[in-house]
Amino acid sequence: MKTAKAGTMESMDCLVTVTEAAAGTGIKLVMDGASVARFRTAMEKKVLETVAAKDVRDLEIEIEDNGAIDIVLSARVECAIDRLGGAQ
Amino acid sequence: MLRTMLYLPGNNPNMLTRGHLFGSDGVILDLEDAVAMVEKDSARVLVSRFLEQGEFGKCEVTVRINGIDTEYWRKDLDAVVRYRRLDGIRAPKVDGPETVKVLDEELSRLEDKYGIEQGHLKLHCLLETAKGIWNAYEIAKSSPRIEAIIPGGEDLRADLKTSRSDDETELEWARRMIVFAARAAGVEPLDTVFSRVTDDEGLRKEVEFIKQLGFSGKSIIHPNQIAIIHKVFNPTEKEIANAQKILAAAREAAANGQGAVSVDGKMVDMPVVKRAEYVLVRAGLAEVK
Amino acid sequence: MAVNAVGREIPDFIEGYGKVKQYQGAFARRPEGNICGPRLRCVNGDRTDKRVSSLKEAIIASGLRSGMTISFHHHLRNGDYVVNMVVDACAELGIKDLTLFPTALFGVHKHLVEHIKSGVITRIMGSVNGPIGQLISEGGMQVPVVLRSHGGRPRAVMAGDVKIDVAFIAAPTADCYGNISGTQGPAACGSLGYAFTDAQYANCVIAVTDNLQPYPASPVSISQVYADYVVEVPSIGDPAGIVSGTTKVTRDPLRLLISKYASQLIEASPYFKDGISFQTGAGGIPLAVTAFMKKAMLAKGIKGSFGLGGITGYFVELLKEGLVGKLMDVQSFDLDAVKSIGENPNHIEISADWYANPWNAGAAVNMLDVVILGATEVDTDFNANVNTEADGALLHGTGGHQDTAAGAKLTIIAQPLLRGRIPCVTDRVYSVTTPGEVVDAIVTEYGVTINPNRKDLLDAVSAVRGLPLISMEELAARARRMAGPMDPVATSDRIIGVVEWRDGTVIDVVRQLRK
Repeated sequence: MKTAKAGTMESMDCLVTVTEAAAGTGIKLVMDGASVARFRTAMEKKVLETVAAKDVRDLEIEIEDNGAIDIVLSARVECAIDRLGGAQ
Repeated sequence: MLRTMLYLPGNNPNMLTRGHLFGSDGVILDLEDAVAMVEKDSARVLVSRFLEQGEFGKCEVTVRINGIDTEYWRKDLDAVVRYRRLDGIRAPKVDGPETVKVLDEELSRLEDKYGIEQGHLKLHCLLETAKGIWNAYEIAKSSPRIEAIIPGGEDLRADLKTSRSDDETELEWARRMIVFAARAAGVEPLDTVFSRVTDDEGLRKEVEFIKQLGFSGKSIIHPNQIAIIHKVFNPTEKEIANAQKILAAAREAAANGQGAVSVDGKMVDMPVVKRAEYVLVRAGLAEVK
Repeated sequence: MAVNAVGREIPDFIEGYGKVKQYQGAFARRPEGNICGPRLRCVNGDRTDKRVSSLKEAIIASGLRSGMTISFHHHLRNGDYVVNMVVDACAELGIKDLTLFPTALFGVHKHLVEHIKSGVITRIMGSVNGPIGQLISEGGMQVPVVLRSHGGRPRAVMAGDVKIDVAFIAAPTADCYGNISGTQGPAACGSLGYAFTDAQYANCVIAVTDNLQPYPASPVSISQVYADYVVEVPSIGDPAGIVSGTTKVTRDPLRLLISKYASQLIEASPYFKDGISFQTGAGGIPLAVTAFMKKAMLAKGIKGSFGLGGITGYFVELLKEGLVGKLMDVQSFDLDAVKSIGENPNHIEISADWYANPWNAGAAVNMLDVVILGATEVDTDFNANVNTEADGALLHGTGGHQDTAAGAKLTIIAQPLLRGRIPCVTDRVYSVTTPGEVVDAIVTEYGVTINPNRKDLLDAVSAVRGLPLISMEELAARARRMAGPMDPVATSDRIIGVVEWRDGTVIDVVRQLRK
């Protein structure tokens, strides 16, 4: 399955790994790291928002977080999806 | 005022979030040398998001795009120009006015595309080759967008086919040329970075030197360099008091219809008055006319 | 159930803790009656050597039984061997249900987790950290942990709230009759400030040393009149974990920025004059504030009267340079501090009682002008939390936070606004350690935020050029905007931690995390 990554584990960043998923799978989101205990809801919302804006309906996303605020989370997810699609 | 322009690596969320808090006059969100080739795309998206959020305090916000000889520069410009918080573009490897023309046209096209008023975006040009330095004056006057010209450091040395010396002899003429060209064209000369970030005394010496040459400010790579540079560029209390004295005397002379006046035994003519006004501008006590 | 003076709902009785004295305000509760003391001893001339041949022998001789309370000081920090050795020995002797009463615990004590799980230790009073804190947060102990400040601990002992059955005092130097000192020996730790209460109030005192000296050892911190037994062991601790080399001032730009703002606040305050006294911890920001203050003091020709608290080499330098007159040392953090306290009569060892006890005739914190503290979070009422992390886990002791904040004329909490995504300014702290009434200013990279109850500071600071002033409303709004909305911590009703204010009332409780 095609996979792509974006981001780093540096402070205030996150590492996003996206993997192609079969049509009908929907969005499978797994998140881990520093912010998840208190920000799961906000993070999920931002990730799903970003994915929807890219018009992607089926995807596996794994996020390892080290304190990324919303705009960083969104940027890394967007870049990972672009990379998955072969854009550079 | 452009006393300090702080480089922030474009792929570093920590620096992008905090970089504007340290008190520099401007920031440079760097998509070029601070970003590895394989990360150009992620830096571009990240910088765009930060520009969209727009929280950079009172800093002048510029983006250093990749050179027009790369495949990245058009995408860089298209990604960032749309955001109102952006004040200008720092363009690397500007060799001659033809490069400026290409950038100017692309900027105008994008300003149009994104509903930004024409000419809003400023250009800061990095002159990093012998050719670029030689063409400094032509470059500096080639577009009304140009706000500043900056000499290269390492890249310039490589082009001159020389090495780094302790007193930086090899850059001296390039620095002087930049100052003359900038002043002749009415733009700001800004100096190149000082890379020894723990050498405070070395930085201070260099800043005193370039200030004396006529530079308005310097590019920096670390927030700890800001205070040292501002201290050198800021007028002292004594200089401010003196400037105020001169301007008061000039105003009085004008009110009394007197042509010339003397303060502390020195003639106060037009150039002296202009310098005094500029001191107050640098002290933040007057606006640029 | 009652809502206490800092707005927290606390039950009137807590299982495993007892009847709750509700927190009524920082200076509300006053003592009644006399100090509670240990048993009288009698030792005659026929006994001239208090040594026993092993730790186990000492424990047996002490009469330690299951269910009793044992205590330790934390001057050997992360290099300590003694706590683990003693609890191991108790376990081997079949002693269980012990109450552990340390002045603090460190990572090296995670070894105790197995003894907690096996029932050798069934109650802890004192800070818990790392894996022990996590275990407790998830419900790993039957009774709640009780957290007290450095000043609240001696108060509790002297008021009779806690009875120490056996105190084990790690002694970098000792003699056969139980004179103890901390400045010499392979495991030298400098000040033994936290050990005094244990020596003076325990029913049995055991000195554990790896450096026996001929009688009488000198200099002496803790006199022979307290020690019941002396045990020699090969090593009481690892020097590398006890003291750091030299504490250096940070070069991190964010911390330097915050430190600069804090220093500017101090300089603008009415306390920045000759004779100023201050306390800074050993952390990056407090040390950098001291460095900025030093510059300002030199520029203005000001000399400090004393430095207080945990002492680092940087403070020792200020003493040597004559920028501060005396150091009052309750804990020595590095080799320079250890050396200085051993040599310089102006570097004074003080006990925890002397340092911070609210119920004596006057502790050192009362004479303090300025203190710079940290916190995991503060809220819009300026309440501070140092005990729990954002995820609700009980991970840090109170230390001297409450005491210095209550005593100092200017209490500053200096922190980056965000740690990663986690804001340090919230609408309501998860648990309260120190109430807003004694917190004067918060300093972040966005500037200085003054408690509205300090109009005098607000006026003083508004005049300073280049010092951004930001209201608490603005600061909290910014934190909220940058971090985004936070999910609540999922807890059960069960209380696993009781946070006492320095006067023995309960200022807040911590509940068990629901996984």
